[in-house]
Formats: sequence, structure tokens, C-alpha cells
Amino acid sequence: MVNIEIKINGKIKCIDVNPRMRLIDLLRNLGLTSVKEGCSEGECGTCTVLLDGKAVTSCTVLAFQADGHEVTTVEGLQTNGELDVIQQAFIENDAVQCGFCTPGMIMAVKSLLNENPHPTREDIIVAIEGNLCRCTGYLPIVKAVEQITKESVDLQ
Amino acid sequence: MKPSAEIVKIADKPDLKYVGKNVTRIDAKEKVTAAIKYLDDFEMKGMLHVKLLLSPHANAIVKSIDSKETEAVPGVIKVYTWCNTPEIKYNSAVFYPGQNDLEDEKLFTDHPKYVGDRIAAVVADSEEAAEEGLNRLKVLYEELIPVIDPSEAVKKECETPSGKPLEIHLSCGQFEEIECGTDGLIIVEDEVSTQKIHHAALEPHSCVAYVEPGEIVTILSPCQLIFGVRYIVSKVLNHPLSKVRIIKAPMGGTFGGKQEVILEPICAFIAKDLGRPVKLVLNRKETIISTRTRAATKGKVRTIATGDGRFVGREVDVLTDAGAYMTGSHRVTTAMGKKLFRLYRIPSQTFHGTTVRTNTTPSGACRGYGSPQIHTITEINVDHLAKRLKMDPVELRLKNLVAPFDDDPTGGPSLGNARIIECVNRGAEAFNWKERFSFTPKKGRYKRGVGMACSTHSNGYAGSIYPDFTAMYMRIAEDGSVLVNAGLHELGTGTLTVIAQIVAEVLDVDINKVLVSEGDTLYTPYDVGCVASRVTYVCGSCAKELAEAVLDKFKRLSSIVLEIPYDDLQLANGIVASVSNPAIKLSYGTLIARIGTILQEEVGGYLSYRSVTNPGSYAAHFVEVEVDTLTGLTAITDYLAVHDVGRAINPRMVEGQIYGGVQMGIGMALFEELAYDSRGIPQNASLSRYHVVNAPEMPQVKVMLIEEDEPTGPFGAKSVGEIAAVPVTPAIVNAVNWAIGVSINVLPLTPSRIISALGAL
Repeated sequence: MVNIEIKINGKIKCIDVNPRMRLIDLLRNLGLTSVKEGCSEGECGTCTVLLDGKAVTSCTVLAFQADGHEVTTVEGLQTNGELDVIQQAFIENDAVQCGFCTPGMIMAVKSLLNENPHPTREDIIVAIEGNLCRCTGYLPIVKAVEQITKESVDLQ
Repeated sequence: MKPSAEIVKIADKPDLKYVGKNVTRIDAKEKVTAAIKYLDDFEMKGMLHVKLLLSPHANAIVKSIDSKETEAVPGVIKVYTWCNTPEIKYNSAVFYPGQNDLEDEKLFTDHPKYVGDRIAAVVADSEEAAEEGLNRLKVLYEELIPVIDPSEAVKKECETPSGKPLEIHLSCGQFEEIECGTDGLIIVEDEVSTQKIHHAALEPHSCVAYVEPGEIVTILSPCQLIFGVRYIVSKVLNHPLSKVRIIKAPMGGTFGGKQEVILEPICAFIAKDLGRPVKLVLNRKETIISTRTRAATKGKVRTIATGDGRFVGREVDVLTDAGAYMTGSHRVTTAMGKKLFRLYRIPSQTFHGTTVRTNTTPSGACRGYGSPQIHTITEINVDHLAKRLKMDPVELRLKNLVAPFDDDPTGGPSLGNARIIECVNRGAEAFNWKERFSFTPKKGRYKRGVGMACSTHSNGYAGSIYPDFTAMYMRIAEDGSVLVNAGLHELGTGTLTVIAQIVAEVLDVDINKVLVSEGDTLYTPYDVGCVASRVTYVCGSCAKELAEAVLDKFKRLSSIVLEIPYDDLQLANGIVASVSNPAIKLSYGTLIARIGTILQEEVGGYLSYRSVTNPGSYAAHFVEVEVDTLTGLTAITDYLAVHDVGRAINPRMVEGQIYGGVQMGIGMALFEELAYDSRGIPQNASLSRYHVVNAPEMPQVKVMLIEEDEPTGPFGAKSVGEIAAVPVTPAIVNAVNWAIGVSINVLPLTPSRIISALGAL
């Protein structure tokens, strides 16, 4: 067992983990079921979480690798019950159908906007290229992110 | 392309409040917050975990299984094989008594017929222990020679009477007579192969089962037909239907992949045997190799036309690869044949379909249920004819397409308000087809070209041998909210939102006050299921008719309680009012409570609704491709999807269906194929080796809706979810063939196929 200290959705936790345990399993065992398993090889992106603000597929990261780092999942997005702008934009643009890819997709977009608050359409497409969605054809998702970008430009 | 062509509303009715509006889907918030719990997120106290042993061989006999070491693994509870489970054979597509599809599948087998066939299950108190137990099972196989190619299977199976292929014939007119005198007529023949495809729903297959007091075997399943699952589970377990309870679980995508009964009987049997809750979640590889696929087909088409491009006759022969078990594959073959008579006016046509088993993953339902395959086969042939006639493919189609309210020449239901001609005319204009279409490839390495295709799909089962009825309860509560108690299945397509829109429209209540249930066989009335593109058309009609009856009852009882004549009452905006006396205004809730107190009656109703007809939904897709003739890579550079939907209940959700359908169709045209080697070993059983269209490969898709109202549909609506995936593949293949001057007819159009076709020029 390895003892790790990890900040998950703003709270610091000290946990003993098996060195073979994946980050996805650690998070799901903690009840963070927004983190989905769709392929187990980092291809579909349903398990995407933020590691220090950047998107990673948590099925290809070992839990101990997150020692000393900060992890954010969809459960950590809402502040005081208010939806994150990404969640709101996904609703408004019908960027959700079956919903299984949605949490990972939202975290991929979160990572993009952390780095680049004004992405171009091309930037958005590249940011979600590792996240598969079989329902929406991606177009409403891209539109949702474009709306956020446009609104933040309008605010300035 | 005109920029304003994104959505064209032909019949805009300003008096509608919810129908035709972009109402936000009712489950969107719980999905973006991940509050929704899919089965893998679901835990129960004392729950056991199941892992399946799947055959590594495509055709083999299990000589022995040694489970001693498995049983010694701490946490392992029990091992199941064909020796200690029911031997009852079933067909996973059957959903109602009397359906006599070939029954050739069992829970577990000692004669695995494909890589992925179920040999055994290990049940343990943790996933890890189940996995460890599985690894310690010692199985001795005697390998047999598999048959992978369906054409070879047809020859082989004819030699063994037990395994005869199934056949279907459909026809109209006198095709044989035309063949005798074809002087002056043009004959164009094609052979087209379509491939096996993985549905690739992001949620892998899963199931939970437990036993409730009273020996009620309860199953949570992200399925499409709760009552169909109930029927098969009841049969296999020999347990009364009333004591088999299926609850529709949240669905992380299906596209037909979760339509047939796969995991449920196994989980139900184990839960009943052990008296404990069990959970079975497949991983991606298991989902790819051991569930269902889109059926591969080989089609032969011969079209006979006059020199000026009128179809005289057509002969279509299709061979369907069912995979290792018959499943619903022969239904798919039959469905393919039926589509042939409902798109073009062809005086004489004959269809011959054959369904044969091979040693590969079983086929089954997949978005379109044969429509993508048959339209790919025939629409490639139509463009071939256009090439021979040197006639614009749009012009050729317009000479032959069906008109509104044409009859089905085989005696099937009327085509209804079939608006395919509008789809083509308006689409061609918006796409600037005439200027863009070219018979000859352009010069240079990157060659652009345009192509198009038409298609039709059904609205339910009416006119077929399958039942097509649904039933609902609807009640207005004392606060004026409305409960719709129905056996519905939300697949992510927006079913619950659409039904709520229809009910809110009829009852004229705030849509946020309408609650629509999903299916639970113990508490919701019967529904055939979310299949056959029937839900908006059939279940939506039931909801509308029932809401109208409930509204009438509410008005009658209000009339008695308020002592105001029926005709003087107006029910609108959640308020009951007197037309003649503006002082009288009561909220629905207040009046419901008063009716309850005075008359002691619930304002509600039950309706069992039977669908009587089955109009066609229609679509024409226009596409521009750019082929890199050096690498063979194809990019989609422009896309227009025109759909005759009757009326869009929720235009934005209709667009969403079309985007997703186009995405699947692009995959079928260019990338996706479940491949097997000669031993039947799957070659790409992972998402790293099986390519699903991702964001950069998705073009901007322009959608144009033709809304001319289907008179038999709820508020004029027809289906869209399946047909959206249908014209895509042939439109792309046609575009590539025109762009580079080839006639590729084997799917998908991989770079190597494109390069070798170019090399053969």
C-alpha cells in the first residue's frame, strides 16, 4: 500500500492505495460516479478528470501518481448549488443526449477554458478530439463552448 | 449554400405553446451534474459481481471445465456453466408469445460458435475476486473449423438440414416478364457489400438483478423493450410473467445494441439461485465481441430503366450475415426488403433475402434495422444508372420518387404524406446541386465531388406481423400537476421530453408540471418498446388521444362541480374559467381538489392505443467530399440533411438526432468495420483499433426540415431517429465515386480501397 495525499474537489484526503490501483477506481470508490469507464484504455474520454487543472483520462493514470496533486471531477464544478457555465451551456445548446460521455466532455472543455478562455472553433474541436460521443455528432457541444466564449468576450 | 438554410420552418403554427418549440430536455440537468446513476454507478447491500467466461475460439467443443481453483479463490461464491443452468433455447429478438423466430441460443454453451460465446460465469463478492476466479478456470477445448464468410456459410449450411438459411421473398408486378423483352431498356447491375459494425454506445452493456419478497425477480436494465425482456426471462427461468419485474435503467446509449435480450436472463437466474443481488458490467472488449452488431450484407441489384430514366423493374438479392445465432437478423433481412417498395415507383420489383449464420459475433438491431444497408446497396446502383444514362442523379431520382399518399405496391400501409420530392427539390436548391455536380473528376491531387442519396424508414410495426400497441395512465393531481404513467424507454433521444410536450400542449399546463415515467413492468402499462421508430408516432399518438380524453373528463366534472354548462368552460394556462362570467377562475389544482371532495373521483384515464397505419419518413442527404488521391483519405467538406419529419415536436432535438445519425453514417461509409481473421478472431475489439468518428472528422451539418404534417401522426409528427443514419453512407459513397471517377462498392471506403480503385483506372 502507498499512502497518498490528494486534493479532490477542494478537499484534502490522505488515503492508502494499492500501487496498481487506477485513479478512476480511486475516484469511483469515493463515490465520484461522474467518472465513467467506457474503454479502459484512454480512447473514449468518459473518465476525463482534471489533474492540476488539466484534462487526463483517469483510467490511464495510477492513483499514486496523483499524490500531492489536485483532482477535479464534475462533482466539484458546482459552486453554492450554481451550475458551472459549461454545464449551463450544455443544457442550453442540447449538447447532452444519453449523458454518458457528458461528464468527461465537460471536464475536457473545462481544461481547455482554464488554459485558453477564448478558444477558436478549431481549438475547441482539438480539445475534445479524445472524447467520444456517439449521440450528438459533437456539433451542439462545440456550439455550447462557442457560446461560452462569445459571452465572456461580450462581458469584456 | 444559403446561410439561412439551417432550419426552414414550412408550417409554423404560432398558436402552439410547446409542440414545435425547443423545449429543454427534462433530464439535461441531472446529466450535466452526473446526478443520474447508470447501472455501473449503482450499488446494493450484499451485491455480488458476475464475470463471464467468453470463448476464445470461433467454433469449438468444450471437453472439460475444471473450476476447483476458481472455487478456492477467496470471495468466489459459485461458478455457472451449461451444466447447472437452464437448457431452454430462446431467440433474443422475440418479445411476445407466438413469435416463432428460430430459437438457437442458451444461457451458456459447451459448443461455442463464435469468439465471445458464453461458456461460464463466475460469481464473487467483489469484481476482483470474480476476475481472479475467471483467470483460474481451466477449460479444455477441441477446436473445429469456423465459417466466417456468409457466402461460404450458405453452401455449408445447405449440406446440414438443421442449419438451413432462412429466406424471404417479396414482389410486385411481373419482373420475370420484363426480363424477357428488354429491348431498348437499360440494365444496370451492382454488387455491394456492407460491413459488420459495433454500436459503440459509450456505456458498455450492464445488468443488475435481485429478488424481492414474493419471489419477484427484479431486473434493472438499460434496455429498449422491458416487456420483451420480461417475456424471455420468464420463459428461460420458467417463472410467471407477473413475478418477473423489469425496470428500465438509465441508458448510456444503445442504437439497437441493447435492444435484444443478452445479459438479463443470466443475471436473473443467478440472483434467483443465490437469493442475492447481482451485477454484471461488461468491459469494452466484451461488449464488442459478445453482444450484437449491425448485420453485414452482400447485395445484388439489377435495375431496368427506360432510356429517359424511368424505372421499369428491379431485382434485389441480399444475403445477411446473422453471426453465430439467428437473433433478430432475419427480421432485419425482411425489413430491408420492405423498404424497397416505398421509395421509388417501380412497377415490377422482386426481393429475395437470405439470412445465414456464421462463426462471428451475432448481429441484431442497429439504428435503421437494415435500412442503412439496403439503401446503401440500392442508392449506389441508382447513381450507377445515372452514370450510364449520363443523367443528373437528382433528375433521375425526381422522375421516379414516390408521391404523397402513394400505395405500397406489396399491399403494405399507405406511404402517407410522403414528401421525398420536396426533400430533393429543396435540398438540391439549397445545396446548389446543379452547379456543383460533375460527371467527370476534377484535376489535381485533392479531388472534390458531390453526391446524394434518398431513403425511407418506418413509423412503427403497423402492417407487419408484430403487435404495435401501447397503453398509458394519465392523472391530474390535487396541485394541478400531471402524471403520465407509461412503459417508456428514454434512450437519450428525448422521448420523455417529447411526450411531456404533447401532454402539456393538449392539457394546456406548464410543462414543468408534467411528469412522464419510464417503464417498470410491475407498475406501468404495456408498451411494445422503443423500437421500429415508433415512439413519437405511436406512443405520442396515445399520449395525445389520452390527454384529450382526460381534458374532456376534467371539463365534464368541472361543469358538474361549478354548475356551469360544459360549453361555457374554458381550460387554458392551467386555469378553469367561465367564458360568460370572467369572475370565475380556478386553478386546475383547486378544481381537482374540489372534484375529489364533492364527486370523490380522480380526474384521469387509461388508454390502450393501437397503431393502425405506418406512413414513411423520408430524407435526402447531400454531401461534398474531398479525396486525397495520394493517401486515399477522404474528408467531408459540406453536408446538408433534408428530412420529411411531418412536424418536429422539438426541432432542436430533431437536429440532434440528425447530427448523431450523420456521424454514425460517416463511420459506416469511411471508417468502421468489425473485422475477423480466417479463424474468426476479432481483429479490432477495442476503441483504439475500432475507430469511431471524433470531433475533427465531423463536418458542419446543415439541417432542413420539411414539415408538411402527417395526418395520422401526433400534431403531424413522424419518426426521425433511425432514418437520420440511413442516407448518409450511400450519399458519401456516391460523392467519392463521382469525385474520383470510380465505382467502389465494398464498405467502408478505407484509404487502401480508394487507392486500389484509383490504381485500377
